[in-house]
Amino acid sequence: MSATTEVPSGGTPGPGPGSGSSLPPSPGSSPTSSPVPSPAAAPAGVLGVVGDGTDLRARSVRRWRRLRAPLAVVGALVVTGVVLALPQPRTSTVPLAPDNVEDGGGRAVAQVLGDRGVDVRYVRTTADALAVAAPGTTLLVTNDFLLAEDQVRAVAGSGADLVLLAPGFSLPLVTDALAPAFSGSAAPAERAAGCDDPDALAAGTVDAAGGVRATGTGDATVCFTDGGDDGGTWAVAHEDGHRVTVVGDAGLLSNARVDEAGHAALALRTLGRHDTLVWYVPSFDDTGVDPADEGGVGGSTDALLPPFVRLLVPLSVLVVAVAALWRVRRTGRLVTEPLPVVVRAGETVRGRGRLYRRGRAHGRAGAALRAGSASRCATRLGLPRTAAAPVVIDAVARATGREARAVEALLYGPPPRDDATLTRLATDLDDLESEVHRP
Amino acid sequence: MVLTGRAVLLAAAGVVALALVPSAGTVLVWAVLVALVCVVDALLAASPRRVAVHREVPASVRLSQSATCTLTVTNVGPRRLRGLVRDAWQPSAGAVVDRHRVDLPPGEGRRLRTVLVPTRRGDRRADLVTVRTVGPLGVAGRQASVPVPARLRVLPEFASRRHLPSRLARLRELDGRSAVQVRGAGTEFDSLREYVVGDDVRSIDWRATARRNDVVVRTWRPERDRRVLLVLDTSRTSAARVGDAPRLDAALEAALLLAALASRAGDRVELLAYDRRVRARVVGASGPRLMPALADALAGVEPTLVEADWPGAAAQVRERLSRRALVVLLTALEPAAVEAGLLAVVGPLAQRHQVVLASVADPEAEDLRRGRGDAAAVFDAAAAERAGLERAAVALRLRQRGVEVVDALPDDLAPALADRYLALKAAGRL
Repeated sequence: MSATTEVPSGGTPGPGPGSGSSLPPSPGSSPTSSPVPSPAAAPAGVLGVVGDGTDLRARSVRRWRRLRAPLAVVGALVVTGVVLALPQPRTSTVPLAPDNVEDGGGRAVAQVLGDRGVDVRYVRTTADALAVAAPGTTLLVTNDFLLAEDQVRAVAGSGADLVLLAPGFSLPLVTDALAPAFSGSAAPAERAAGCDDPDALAAGTVDAAGGVRATGTGDATVCFTDGGDDGGTWAVAHEDGHRVTVVGDAGLLSNARVDEAGHAALALRTLGRHDTLVWYVPSFDDTGVDPADEGGVGGSTDALLPPFVRLLVPLSVLVVAVAALWRVRRTGRLVTEPLPVVVRAGETVRGRGRLYRRGRAHGRAGAALRAGSASRCATRLGLPRTAAAPVVIDAVARATGREARAVEALLYGPPPRDDATLTRLATDLDDLESEVHRP
Repeated sequence: MVLTGRAVLLAAAGVVALALVPSAGTVLVWAVLVALVCVVDALLAASPRRVAVHREVPASVRLSQSATCTLTVTNVGPRRLRGLVRDAWQPSAGAVVDRHRVDLPPGEGRRLRTVLVPTRRGDRRADLVTVRTVGPLGVAGRQASVPVPARLRVLPEFASRRHLPSRLARLRELDGRSAVQVRGAGTEFDSLREYVVGDDVRSIDWRATARRNDVVVRTWRPERDRRVLLVLDTSRTSAARVGDAPRLDAALEAALLLAALASRAGDRVELLAYDRRVRARVVGASGPRLMPALADALAGVEPTLVEADWPGAAAQVRERLSRRALVVLLTALEPAAVEAGLLAVVGPLAQRHQVVLASVADPEAEDLRRGRGDAAAVFDAAAAERAGLERAAVALRLRQRGVEVVDALPDDLAPALADRYLALKAAGRL
């Protein structure tokens, strides 16, 4: 409950004698509020305390002293982060991606191609791939697990020279002349070119598995066969005016194996035919081909969101920061006060009980229960505190009608040995006490 | 500079700008804009240091009653002051609402009332008065804390005063009894009155009867102008919690009731709060000034965690009292503490004075003693039984030295001690 009241004006006295004198009445003011005379005219003691005794300079100095250490720490963290982040090009762990420097990555090939003047464009969606791929460019598709048939058809229809790495279901959709070859043993083996394609001849030998065979229906060249039924490692076919090159063993391009045998020559010659190489690594969040769309091709899921949604993240950071600044400032400091002791008086009794239990002092505990019980019975029967045991036993036996021997066993019997006998003794003593009434 | 919830809303409104111009630069521009608006608004706010603050508090209040702290805030700056004033108090001062919204044109003042319902006895201190002003937009503002010292003395509750009327009635019954029923060394002659049927014939004053035609009996009244010294033990044993409050609080209630009763009975009451040194002392106050003096002295008495110095306390008693008096020791009947200190000095004290030891018993011990739930409860019960026997043994040793012992639960101690006082008075043993 709180009340805010106007300070009374000249005519109306304040509710209390003390409060009324706190403000000098000023004649001629409105009845609801009273302008106080100018501060210079009023004595300081009447109006009260003004300000906290600091000036701007003192406050600035104090704030600077208080803030400089945290600011230095934050500044050092920011600078360190920037310095560490700047020279480091971004890398990924996506298999056969051109920015992956691990064994399964394709950065070695991509970098050499880039050095030789080939413009390597790394894309993750069919839409992006089609945006760049055109006749006169090379389009590398690293796998087809994540592609739908529509996407494969769209890629095949781009007009670019296709390079497919270890294709599966997609190969028949792209060309009739080649087909995947499967065999039980796909172990890499040393293979010679075995054909007259200049790229294959330049490579000489490869140490790879096969994976592609000619169907015999079209114009196709299969190289690096070893005579077995797993086909060749490398094949080229021509379809509608563009080349379709199939590399049966995708590991051939990987950072780990590209420097073996003739892999490097084969990879560079295959991918470096044109000035532009579209390096397409299919991804999960590719919405693929949207038949309703005009172009027939969708983009990534991000692209479906309105353009400003991505910017909500920095904006929410701003909002959270402002909210933090709003909540962090207290309305004045916390007020402390010394508090009284909180230990309960019964703690000593409990502590002693625990000691009895830990020491398994059944005998001592039983003796205490018996002594208390006997003393209460004796008091109730009007016996003096100094009464001897036989007198107490006799009096209790007469009061309860029990046998004197039973009462003696209960009040002065052998000490209990374990928890069960102690608990029984306690309840038996309670029963006995409840039967004792003043005679 | 302080921000308000509106600043957060302003920052969040950036989503509209972002929808219109979706680019990363918009966020940056918006952040700068928000910061600019906040700074300008804070600069336009009235200075929280150009406010005159005056605090008025009643000198004292009884525990469990409410007091009103009046804060007079005057705007001595040139700008209109909008914002919040916090009247900070220690938590146990029990400020119900300590934040007040204010809107003051230049030169005007307001009274802000903070209702305090103290939850603890003693001196409750006010802390800084914090003034937070907000700018014209209400987005940001400034804040300053002004030291305006104030103190509210919270007096003991004296809940036991509800027992006072019944004890005063019994005190009046003691008045005017005939001498035979109240025979003792301390009874004093009061007046003569006519014989009525039922009066003891032995109380007839024959000399007065001879002077008049009626039969006249002497009446007596309880002794007056005895001295009662209340010795309050504030050592470690008084700090333990019994129920919800320290043992000392129950002792205080008993002391206040006894003091009220004894002062009405015409005795002179003094009080001494002692552990290793004198914590509070009330001497020479009588009549209507006694109870306020006691309440004021006892308001600030807190238990200290030291062992009681009973020889020192006995020396204080000897210093204060020359002739026989009633000495009431308000302490705890802790076997170890009593045997170590009190037992040695109480014998000589009891020979010179009538000594009553009032002790606050622990209701929890009785609950523990009845525990039969499992083996652990039975062990606790045995420990409680043993503690009870030791208390009884110590009480017996005290009684053997001539000390009256009153051992009662916290709520019963005050009436029990008052009853013991009345019994002693009726028996003329003061």
